[in-house]
Amino acid sequence: MAALLLDHGASNELLAREELALGEQAGRRTLRAQIAQLDRLLSAAVCEAFPDRLELAPLPAGGPRVQGLGELELRRDALIDALRAARQQLAARELERDAARTLLAQMLLDPAKYRRVRISQRELGVGGCGVWSVMPKLGPMGRLMGWWRVKLSSGCPLAT
Amino acid sequence: MASALEAEFPGLRAEWIRCECSEHRSDPGVGERLAQLASRFSGRQAVELRQQQVPAAYRSFFLQIGIDPDQQPTPIEQAVLGRLLAGGNLPQDRISDALLLALLETAVPVIAFDASFVTEPIELRGARAGEAIGANELAPGTLIVADAEKPLCQLFAAPEPPLAAGRASQDLLLVAVAPPGVSGLASDEALTIAAEAISGG
Repeated sequence: MAALLLDHGASNELLAREELALGEQAGRRTLRAQIAQLDRLLSAAVCEAFPDRLELAPLPAGGPRVQGLGELELRRDALIDALRAARQQLAARELERDAARTLLAQMLLDPAKYRRVRISQRELGVGGCGVWSVMPKLGPMGRLMGWWRVKLSSGCPLAT
Repeated sequence: MASALEAEFPGLRAEWIRCECSEHRSDPGVGERLAQLASRFSGRQAVELRQQQVPAAYRSFFLQIGIDPDQQPTPIEQAVLGRLLAGGNLPQDRISDALLLALLETAVPVIAFDASFVTEPIELRGARAGEAIGANELAPGTLIVADAEKPLCQLFAAPEPPLAAGRASQDLLLVAVAPPGVSGLASDEALTIAAEAISGG
């Protein structure tokens, strides 16, 4: 009877261990899915920022090996931090672009008030190499007469 | 593949194919295709690559096994970065060109081993205590590509001579490591492209 009870206890322990292992494996699988999802979101942010580069902290490394729960959690948390930093940088950049667009609108309304101010297409979030600048009409004559206008430069330099 | 690893990463697999290499000089036809492929990738495409299905699967897998793909880029990202820095895909030798062609066409990296040093089947598994590649002892659990007898190389690392296919290799074993999310079609295509480019088929 005692032997039977002992056997029963041992098999219970074995079952509990197996359940724990399966639970841990399921946990790792969930964390891996979260990591994949976070990387997709981070990749989208990196693409959105192009041609600017996002400043992101390197992720903890230690592979290639099957990562434990703790390591996966660390990586998941680091990705969350990276995604947060990426979104903050994108938001800050959008604010700068808004400011540049407002400034350009004001320049167009009253060029004389913004003499020699330059705004690049990049600052506006538009592709290309053009630069909006307030220039005097007719060179020195316009400068003396106070004839100012906003001009968009012709774009990227030709390849040599 | 070791069942423990299969249970952890359902869909992770190594596929392989044998081929012959009788001529090691660069194939002009392959060189031409590489030159055409070079124009496929601008800076924007290089960045947006990470959002495509196969490159994204490799990125995710890198992260899941503890490699930061921004520090150690995935093979396709590394190849495209190399193309941008070099200004083109410069032909090297038949095997390297074939592997690069397969990678750029499918985003699946292919490794070439000298078949005379490799015993099939190929598997992916964790390194066991005391195993080494050359003089470098592997930490137990390090993910490796192994044959029936020994470790061949660390996962996503280049194999070292004499295992790596070189100028003296006649029979080659091409191996593609496909993580979960990469279809069998993509890995098959990568192996076929590389084998045909090497054997001149």
